[in-house]
Amino acid sequence: MAYAYFSGRDDYHFDHQEITHMDRNQLTKWLKTPVKMGHKYSLHAVYFCTGCGIIEVPPVITARWDAERFGVIPVATPRQANLFLITGYVSVKTLKAIIRTYEQMPEPKFTVGFGSCPVNGGMYWDSYNTIKHLDKYIPVDGWIAGCMPRPEAIFVAVVHLWTLIDKDMADGYKRYRKDYKAYRANQEQLFGTLEWPPLFPIGESK
Amino acid sequence: MRELELYFGPQHLGMVGNFSITLQVEGDRILKATANPGYLHRGFEKLMELRSWIKNYPMVCRINVVEPDSMEMVYAMGVEKLAGHEVPERAHYVRSIYLELARVGSHLFGLWAYANMLGFDTVAQWAMYHRDLVLDLFEELTGGRVYHIYICPGGVRRDFPEGFKDKIVHTLHSIGGCVPDYNDTFFHNRLFCDRAQGIGTVTREEAIAMGGTGQVLRATGMKYDIRRVEPYAAYDKVPWEVPTRENGDAYSRIMVIRDEMIESVHMIFKLLDAMPEGDVYNRIPNPIKWTIPPGEAYVRCESSRGELGLYMVSNGEDKPYRVHFRTPSYSHGLTVLESALQNASVADVGNIMISLYVVAPEIDR
Amino acid sequence: MNDSLKEQLTSVFTDVKVFIPEEDRIVITVEKEAVLSVLSFLKNHGYSHLGLISCVDWIEEKKLELVYILSAYMQEDESYHDKERTTIILKTKISREKSEFLSVTPIFVNAEPYEREIHELYGIHFDGHNRLTPLFLERKYETPPFRKDFDTRKYVQDVFDNIPFVEKKAENK
Repeated sequence: MAYAYFSGRDDYHFDHQEITHMDRNQLTKWLKTPVKMGHKYSLHAVYFCTGCGIIEVPPVITARWDAERFGVIPVATPRQANLFLITGYVSVKTLKAIIRTYEQMPEPKFTVGFGSCPVNGGMYWDSYNTIKHLDKYIPVDGWIAGCMPRPEAIFVAVVHLWTLIDKDMADGYKRYRKDYKAYRANQEQLFGTLEWPPLFPIGESK
Repeated sequence: MRELELYFGPQHLGMVGNFSITLQVEGDRILKATANPGYLHRGFEKLMELRSWIKNYPMVCRINVVEPDSMEMVYAMGVEKLAGHEVPERAHYVRSIYLELARVGSHLFGLWAYANMLGFDTVAQWAMYHRDLVLDLFEELTGGRVYHIYICPGGVRRDFPEGFKDKIVHTLHSIGGCVPDYNDTFFHNRLFCDRAQGIGTVTREEAIAMGGTGQVLRATGMKYDIRRVEPYAAYDKVPWEVPTRENGDAYSRIMVIRDEMIESVHMIFKLLDAMPEGDVYNRIPNPIKWTIPPGEAYVRCESSRGELGLYMVSNGEDKPYRVHFRTPSYSHGLTVLESALQNASVADVGNIMISLYVVAPEIDR
Repeated sequence: MNDSLKEQLTSVFTDVKVFIPEEDRIVITVEKEAVLSVLSFLKNHGYSHLGLISCVDWIEEKKLELVYILSAYMQEDESYHDKERTTIILKTKISREKSEFLSVTPIFVNAEPYEREIHELYGIHFDGHNRLTPLFLERKYETPPFRKDFDTRKYVQDVFDNIPFVEKKAENK
């Protein structure tokens, strides 16, 4: 596809046929899994301007590149959202806000890293105040590369995310629940003691 | 007296940019506001010391995301002053046209944010659409919509392509033709006037004491514009006016922004007519390793938010020794904001904050 | 215009070096005890716009140099004079080990965030500042991060790269 490389997973191979047929004649698929249809076509994004990638989000949600035809609209609070678009680099102070926002979102929730800075630090790889790999602290379902990516890249990412949801591979929130001990340990190694209690009970070690 | 501490925090529907304000309220009235920057701090100036002068071209524009072009301009001006490098005549005109287009785009973005805050969604959608037309022009000229890296020390990277002049004229006519619609829907709308007049007043003495520049100062009546005070590029070659208003409240600032947009459009037409032919780039002496003689320089230019300055020190190597950006949002977002929010109502926080035209990455760098 | 200011300064203050490198720029070097009085003198002569307070780390000389940049607002509403084009760069050096200085907030109100930033990034303590709390940073660093002996790449390796990826941890279980 022209604009974006989405997903860092080795086990996801993009199938062009599925996208061009765009769920149009698949009424039986909808009837079998209405839950997935609900997840896919109403991805409400939480409105949090985390970094410099926020400059391409207002064009996406306004009239020219209209995101509402894909079902994506910005909502006010994380309690109403199921898509978290982390636009741009993440500083240490912002990561605390991101973790708290992510933990407040109800499941199922999907995270997309936008821009090349969350992937591996990007241009600020030697800065003392930015996070280099966002993957270590919260689970990410896919990445959009670019600096800045074009607005069409967000739509390509949304379509890839639909395919991932169909195949049950968009399981960031399940990985968070399963590996919460490791994520929490990483967060505490960076910040010291955290002010909020653990989200899931951390059992004894096996 | 029962006080409550509220966080107008980073994740908020009214916050544009990653910035947070802590408010101490009693009922509906704000007693004390504390700005809380630092969510976007990258240690930019330290990173710039580790990269050579040429490798810093793409770094510099990412300080201000809404209008990256004035950052490139002030860096180029500083390096040219330190190195004693000349710029050809046509490059001055191209730079001025490019900066004025960026100013129009940035003001349209600010209009989106402000109109959305007040609830005028239609005007916000129009403004963002017209900004996309300007970004299409940038994409044809430089290859990128947002980060252009077009102004380099020595001139600009490439000349206008075939037929670009007509495209600029066509785009600006289509934006300018909608100004009566904007006037009827927003700027002369009684709802906007009632909601913005008398709110967030910053008097001239307060603005001078707190280091305000740009719209904050021009809304009080002083015609302080670096393009007039200390002209750079081609701003002294064409006649143009500095728009001002009298009262210093949010209404005056937004009307100054509107007048500046219209003035920028007229200025672009005049510059296109007056532009001479010639080269646009004067090559730097050594593209592999460019060393600049020791010295210091302070240059300033007028970005869409206010006075943008750069203090540079070189010690003879191929990397900068110290680079410090004086950004306009620093004093507006940290000193003026805390004073303007005193005794304001909680409902007006977003209104005042966006009318002071603060861009959060500029504060933190 | 700039020469008359140079004469006034050298006549009033004893230990002041004024250097005019080009048109519209004046560079004044003072000892650290005279900074406040020179700043009030310049403010009373119309240079009331404090643009920037910056700091440069000269590590070989073992000094930190504080730089104050002043310019003038317009005196009249409609016309532009040469005074507004002039920028004054005032510099002074303090010692690097014992880095303390006086705050200029009694003279210029908007110096407050600049001094907070220099305090946390260079480690200079300003006496008389009423709110010297961290502005951008949240963690404690042993060397203030903008000094030349703070190695950011080593810091990144020590702090960020040592945190393991979650998938690798899960595989190792």
